[in-house]
Amino acid sequence: MELVIAIFIGLLFACGVYLILRRSIVKVILGIFVLSNATNLIIFLAGGIRSEQIPFIAEGEQTLDPALINDPVAQVLVLKAIVIGLGIAAYILALKYRYFQVTGTHDLDLLKNTDQR
Amino acid sequence: MSLFALLLLPFAYIILALLIKKASIKKRLAILFATANFLWALALIPLVQFKEMIVVQTGGWQAPYGITLVADKLSVFMLVMVAIIFLVTTIYATQAVDKERRKSGHYFFSFGILMGVNGSLIAGDVFNLYVWYEVMLMSSFILISLGGEKAQMEGSIKYLILNLISALFFVSGVGLLYGNLGSLNMADLSRIIANQPELLPQLNPALILMFVSFAIKGALVPFFFWLPASYHTPPPAVTALFAGLLTKVGIYSLIRFYTLFLYHDAPFWNQLILIMGSLSMIIGVFAASSQYDFRKILSFHIISQVGYAVIALGFYSVAGIAAAIFFLGHNMLSKTNAFLVAGWIKHHKGTLNLKTLGEVYKESTIWGVLFFISAFSLAGLPPLSGFVGKYLIIKAGIEANQLTVTLIALFVGLFTLFSMVKIWLEVFWKNKPRDKVVKAPLPPPKDHWMLTTSVVMAILIVAMGVWAQPIINFCEAAAFDLMNPDKYIEFVLGKS
Repeated sequence: MELVIAIFIGLLFACGVYLILRRSIVKVILGIFVLSNATNLIIFLAGGIRSEQIPFIAEGEQTLDPALINDPVAQVLVLKAIVIGLGIAAYILALKYRYFQVTGTHDLDLLKNTDQR
Repeated sequence: MSLFALLLLPFAYIILALLIKKASIKKRLAILFATANFLWALALIPLVQFKEMIVVQTGGWQAPYGITLVADKLSVFMLVMVAIIFLVTTIYATQAVDKERRKSGHYFFSFGILMGVNGSLIAGDVFNLYVWYEVMLMSSFILISLGGEKAQMEGSIKYLILNLISALFFVSGVGLLYGNLGSLNMADLSRIIANQPELLPQLNPALILMFVSFAIKGALVPFFFWLPASYHTPPPAVTALFAGLLTKVGIYSLIRFYTLFLYHDAPFWNQLILIMGSLSMIIGVFAASSQYDFRKILSFHIISQVGYAVIALGFYSVAGIAAAIFFLGHNMLSKTNAFLVAGWIKHHKGTLNLKTLGEVYKESTIWGVLFFISAFSLAGLPPLSGFVGKYLIIKAGIEANQLTVTLIALFVGLFTLFSMVKIWLEVFWKNKPRDKVVKAPLPPPKDHWMLTTSVVMAILIVAMGVWAQPIINFCEAAAFDLMNPDKYIEFVLGKS
């Protein structure tokens, strides 16, 4: 299971890098979204994938075998990262919209007025 | 408790700014809260000298499990510098930022940046550091695009995408580190690595990812391209704030990570850091010399000067790290003041193109002197703070037997001087070109607060050069603590 997800993450990274190298700003932004989800999956995978038991200490017991459960901390971190990613997604789309209003273009190659020459 | 206030003060302002409609009250409150933040940061100095470090466990959860806030001497030094820069730019912005931008939340988002920067400086937990980075980044994204001019939009898209990639690198590094070691607390991680050095090779991907992220944030070669493409687009007050705070937080994190994790594999990282630092110095200063825009020259100088701080870190000795810390502090003051002068010129002349400016010294002697002080402090002339900073770095380099890098640092200083003299000649000295007339904004806006803040900064620069010894002592104590990570670990986790 972990291997499958690891390969999937690799594929997502490849797609994301491909997208952020495109000329259209919209595709670059989509690439950022794909990359941010791929990183979320890395954290998710870091907690391990085991399906034997939910991470609760059963009634009457004192301890829990860590080999049987997923690490819940990693999943909390993923939640946090998803929320941050959502905020950034909202902002970046708004910025893109405003940019299009001001300049009327999607082409990154036209974005060279502020660069050093 | 003492550390929470650094996060709560900016947050309280953000809440109040939402509730209050009137712009003049917002402005006064902003100055009030920035002053309070400054005083609070100052009050931490005696505390940290008396108790060595301040550790707060949020919610009472013990160290490796809860979120820890730590302030050692390095953090406190940076906190005080950040508070000074923030207070100065807040007062400066009351006149330098136009009314439209101030109404639509200039202060609101600059306090967001302050909260993020303060948080990253006291975070004792890797994921927490990422979250504070994100707070800082979000606010800076909005601040850099606030106003929505065409150049600003372009600059902010570049700034946004490259900084987001840096954040993604960082968070994937955090994920890999947590997967390998099962902890997020920096002190705990450092202890695990120190106890099990055989784990180190499998941590390299995570550490490299984080290093690249800090290098993007700190604008080191070859990751600096976002900085000169975006820093000259927003209003000068915003650039001054960014130049003073943002790249320096990247370098702060690099110092923190270096002294907690990377030092285990010092031969490799030292080489990498020295090479990247030297390249940053050279490429930054050469690119700066070829520019014809006031703020672009200064932006490229940020890259060059960050290189100085980084090579001093690469010497890996108490003297080297102390020099890096001192140089960061000096650079924050001098660079911000140079941008404040650029802001005044933009305000009064309507342009920052060197080819159309001229005779500013004749029209306004005081601003000429202010630029002179900050520019020659950046170039490293005695008795200004830059001289002490460069002297410490070069001394540490010779002691660490890194002669090539030290000679590069000296050589780069010459070109820094050259590009500063170029600004001086073109903007302040030469006769105004008669054929290129730029309309100055009429009537000339009021500038007494802009002048006051810039004078205060210039006095601080001179003071930091003349009374350097107490500051150097403090930096050396901070560097000594950093070179002994066991002390940090013991303070955070308790005796083991």
